[in-house]
Amino acid sequence: MVEDSPGKRYLLMGNEAIARGAIEAGVKVTASYPGTPASEIMETLALAAPKLGFHAEWSTNEKVAFEVAAGAAITGVRALTAMKNAGLNWVMDMFMTLVYGGVRGGFVIAVADDPNAHYSSNEQDTRFAAFYGEIPCLEPANQQEAKDMTRYAFELSEQLELPVMVRSATRLSHASGDVELGKLQKLDRKPIFDKHWKMAYRWNVYGPPGPVEKHRWLHSRIPIAKKTVEKLPWNKLEIEGKPKLGIIASGLGASYALDVVRMLGLEGKVAFLKIGSPTPIPEQMVGRLLRAVKTVFVVEEGDPLVEFQVKALAKDINPKVKIVGKLTGALPPVGEINVDIVGKTLAKLAGVKLGEDKARELAKAEVSKLVSSRSSTLCAGCQHLGSYWALKQALRKFGGQVPIVNGDIGCYEQGGYGIFAKAIKPSLSTESVRYPIESPYETLDTNYIMGGGVGLMQGEFHAGYKDGAIVAIAGDSTFFHACIPAVINAVYNGAKGVFLVMDNSWTAMTGHQPDPGTGMRATGEPAKQLLIEDIARACGVEFIKVVDPFDLKSTQVALEEALNHEGFAIVIARRACTLQVQRQKKFVGKRIVVNPEKCTSCKICVSFGCPAITFRDKKGGIDPILCNGCGMCVQVCPTEALSIGE
Amino acid sequence: MGDINLIIAGVGGQGSVLASHLVAMAAIGDGLHARVGETFGAAMRGGSVASHIRLGKEVHSPLISKDGADIILALEPLEGLRNSVRYLREDGLLLANTRAWSPTDVNIGLAKYPDMKTIEKSVKKLGGTGNVRTMNVVMLGALAGTGKLPVSIESLKQVIRENVPKGTEEVNLRAFGLGLRAVQQE
Repeated sequence: MVEDSPGKRYLLMGNEAIARGAIEAGVKVTASYPGTPASEIMETLALAAPKLGFHAEWSTNEKVAFEVAAGAAITGVRALTAMKNAGLNWVMDMFMTLVYGGVRGGFVIAVADDPNAHYSSNEQDTRFAAFYGEIPCLEPANQQEAKDMTRYAFELSEQLELPVMVRSATRLSHASGDVELGKLQKLDRKPIFDKHWKMAYRWNVYGPPGPVEKHRWLHSRIPIAKKTVEKLPWNKLEIEGKPKLGIIASGLGASYALDVVRMLGLEGKVAFLKIGSPTPIPEQMVGRLLRAVKTVFVVEEGDPLVEFQVKALAKDINPKVKIVGKLTGALPPVGEINVDIVGKTLAKLAGVKLGEDKARELAKAEVSKLVSSRSSTLCAGCQHLGSYWALKQALRKFGGQVPIVNGDIGCYEQGGYGIFAKAIKPSLSTESVRYPIESPYETLDTNYIMGGGVGLMQGEFHAGYKDGAIVAIAGDSTFFHACIPAVINAVYNGAKGVFLVMDNSWTAMTGHQPDPGTGMRATGEPAKQLLIEDIARACGVEFIKVVDPFDLKSTQVALEEALNHEGFAIVIARRACTLQVQRQKKFVGKRIVVNPEKCTSCKICVSFGCPAITFRDKKGGIDPILCNGCGMCVQVCPTEALSIGE
Repeated sequence: MGDINLIIAGVGGQGSVLASHLVAMAAIGDGLHARVGETFGAAMRGGSVASHIRLGKEVHSPLISKDGADIILALEPLEGLRNSVRYLREDGLLLANTRAWSPTDVNIGLAKYPDMKTIEKSVKKLGGTGNVRTMNVVMLGALAGTGKLPVSIESLKQVIRENVPKGTEEVNLRAFGLGLRAVQQE
């Protein structure tokens, strides 16, 4: 990553390619918060930062990360912030306002979307945020473009004095491809500050001439951006002869469309406009295509941003041209697209017949019945299993008829993933309904976003919900990211409820990034370790207990006391992530011994939800390869069929 | 599509992602273009994982199309079958390890785990070839190939012949030979 060897080819993940682009551009400050599928951008930068002397940090949340990078860009150095789709929602306040004054040094916002919501709570298309904020968005089709576009985005940003968005998606960020490296630029810019640079009170939106004039300045950039994108190498129009059909394909959509054109033998027979800037689109090129063909097929991943703009242009240029895409149902409006989906539509439009083997499709349907679903589970020996077990027992005693457990974002969110093989019938009840918790994966009743649960809990309380206890769960990284204002609010406005913080000292789900509770920074250097109980105390919380989730009984007792407490209570279940501890070889588990004769087939061990626990021939057992020897299952077994060995 | 489409499937933690990157890196070294796409669930450990590897002179999409995989290498048999249904070409090959990683859905009794014979038969129904064999035996061959075991290769072969399930002796001995030669040739 730090190698200055232009022309060398490597296999890079999309996220690594984005990081390499920033490194080649001579970036000075980089800041991010982990979020799949974007996390590897900062992981890569953090590895390179100490060697090349730039700043790389995991910030407490995306908004802070954005501001850290924006502040650096105001002083004239190059800066990058990276985040997942949902992360940009945190940023929007600063995002929509920063654009009124823009930046001095190049500022790149790298966002990885997640069509099909593989790792996210929604499928939002963040290209619309660039459209909304009136800044350019570049959208790579492959890893090479991801690197090259990120590198160029800094130049474009400095030309326009505006932030530039680079939009990735799961299939780019988390896929790898061959990338030819470019030269490393060494900028060594001195950070400077001039508050009236080219405009009075440039960096103070309220300073005269005020927001409206600054908005007018933002609009003055649009024609420059539109002119510039016509010359980008990633916007390319190919028309041979007089084709009837044209394709406009943006970003990943172009990589699918190119494969499909080849598969269907349509090379040279259709006009092809590959788009690398979905906003602003290259209007001149689009116009040439609209005049040349009868039908245009728009292929893009996400929502129809390009399609809307093409339709608007067509109204004046060639109203007769037929435009098909997501708006017309030619591509599905939800989920992600792929070669099969694009191929089916293109074949139809081009009049190519696709053969279908009906007998084989029938055989496939039959075989697929044999393929069991594989529910998502916590890891063997995960401390969250202990917390969930203790919570289940405590709620059984003091949770009332229908407790509400509000979830949050992190590994523990799997507590709400359910069992995939279980069919759930929607209920039409007009009263509260209690459902059994047969595995930890059926615990969470609500779950939306980072820090959302502890806020929802307060609304449920103020609504006067009396049918059961109200609980919220969050992890340590989430606590630092988004929970602190909600904790202060609970104390200030007198909400009652139990807030269980599952503190494993790492941002584990996104690949074990350090957080303010780890005692380490992104680059591995030591940092001051913050304790959640100290923060909770400073926020005015009166009931605070810290427990070890491997000790099921004490964790249960602490939660029972919290449920019986008169006000807002916090229980912190603290134990470092089992995987992380194993990597550091700090913990050697004991062998768990199974005595099948004592097993009464009660399946309580199975309901504990550890993937190392098996159930074969009507007896509980332990998979010795998966087992980490944490010993929690031994505490769960009522008949001592499980015991700790040597 | 590319010249070759390969899937390495397994369960999170088995190393399919690394293995797929090694294949792609080697192809790039030989002057080909490569794409590696990954599909996996949210779990760090224990979720379904599949790496799609596309190698050739011109490749774009990171994922293999339906019925487009020439070979599926499965580190876990159920994952081999899962990917075969969707991705295996009609004349494709499934190479699967025998080591089953039972899903929670099966453990709690809501689903069944197909046996190895059923998996092979099912792939045949799809028009392909299914070959479920134990990778442990390949590894054992590799171990023997180091020459550091104080046991003769012949006696290891004898033990394998006598202890593997009936009817799989030849397949297992070939697997042993594969691992053995791989290390000896180094």
